[in-house]
Amino acid sequence: MAKEKTFEEKLKELETIVNELESGEIDLDSSIEKYTSAMKLVKECDEKLKNVEEQVNKIVTENGSLEDFEVE
Amino acid sequence: MNNKYLSVSAITRYLKAKFDSDDNLRVVFLKGEISNIKYHTTGHIYFSIKDETSKINAIMFASNAKKLLFKPVDGSKVLVTGRISVYEATGGYQIYVDEMLEDGIGNLYIAFEKLKQDLAKEGLFDQKYKKQIPKIPNRVGVVTASTGAAIKDILSTIKRRYPICEVILFPSLVQGENAKDDIVKNIKLAENYNLDVLIVGRGGGSIEDLWPFNEEIVARAIFDCTIPVISAVGHEIDFTIADYVSDMRAPTPTGAAEMAVPNISDLINTINNLKIRLNEGINKKINYQKLYLDSIKNSYAIKNPLIMYENKKQKLDILIDNLNKVLLKKYDKAKHKFEILKSNYILNNPNLLYKDKIVKLDTLIEKLELINPLGVLKRGYSLTYIDNKVVKDVKEIKEGSNLLIKLHNGQINTTVVDVKEN
Repeated sequence: MAKEKTFEEKLKELETIVNELESGEIDLDSSIEKYTSAMKLVKECDEKLKNVEEQVNKIVTENGSLEDFEVE
Repeated sequence: MNNKYLSVSAITRYLKAKFDSDDNLRVVFLKGEISNIKYHTTGHIYFSIKDETSKINAIMFASNAKKLLFKPVDGSKVLVTGRISVYEATGGYQIYVDEMLEDGIGNLYIAFEKLKQDLAKEGLFDQKYKKQIPKIPNRVGVVTASTGAAIKDILSTIKRRYPICEVILFPSLVQGENAKDDIVKNIKLAENYNLDVLIVGRGGGSIEDLWPFNEEIVARAIFDCTIPVISAVGHEIDFTIADYVSDMRAPTPTGAAEMAVPNISDLINTINNLKIRLNEGINKKINYQKLYLDSIKNSYAIKNPLIMYENKKQKLDILIDNLNKVLLKKYDKAKHKFEILKSNYILNNPNLLYKDKIVKLDTLIEKLELINPLGVLKRGYSLTYIDNKVVKDVKEIKEGSNLLIKLHNGQINTTVVDVKEN
């Protein structure tokens, strides 16, 4: 299975589709197809930014494991 | 008699000229300790440099003082470069300082320059090795001390800008003799944590404090690291070898955090803008297609097919009319030409063509009559022939020649009896 696209890749793909749509050079059927997949990307990006919990900082300990870390 | 006494300014000028013409005093490298330092409001610095037994006055003009990398105070051990000359107003000699380094630091500075040159020559700073810093990382590593301003600044900046990012701290010594090995160990360790970018650095400090980041093994560890590295050592003005070899240099730890992660609100704006453009794009396309369809539906041909046919028919009629007209015109023209020919005078009076000729012929006949030699014979002349040739010379004839004499109405054969020449 292909590795899931990174946020950056999704954003880039999104920009490409928007530019294509704005150029008006693709036919209606593929426009709608592209629009649909672009909206899916928008949703994924939105979710990534808005719904992910704030991350807790980690610190690498002596034995290489990760522990929560709060700077005082 | 007063002439042997010099003025004070004359002897001072003489001494000054002596100093200024001495090559050894033009560029002097001097080391010692600063005392009596005074910062003047003009920016010039006045001080003395002394050792255990001697002292020399010194001045550093504002233009040079600006370039100082440290703030000299009384007791600072320094290395200075300058020229020695006489200040005429006081009659004192002094050193005019161009450059001043902290002693001890001076050695570090030389080591720094040498390592920088060696590594540059080896290509460790080459642009072609610089890795791209990802714009939107999921996981950021930090190699720095677990306490202090640097980690605090980095974490608060990342939290503020991009709270959804994971940060993993690799706590490290960042000053002292063991710091370089610890930093190297942590950079290597960081490779195992699937990081998108690694910040390596520490907060501000003295040049000795920052020194681990000028160590060759640290530079090579950064160079060998497969993760893009942002260096963040000290303040804006501090440049270390780590800064040259890293993929990107940040002026401060806060700056490094800003380079490592995007601003989440910028990203949200970007995505919102893209969403708006996406909707506008598709609406534009649909509207355009709709307009296009409408224009086809409303087109003349679709709406009034019969009129289209009528038009064609009308055109055909016009063409046929035109064709008839053209043919008629051609016929009329030909007919007219024929009529003209038919009524031609000559054709109707062909005798006119040869009447003239007959008159001409009659004249010619008359003329011919005039020159006919036979006509002359009629008037009594004759022609004499010998051997069928006309005799023109009496020498052609001898006694006994047979001659033929032609007259207009007959001929005589005769034999010559006598010939006489005139």
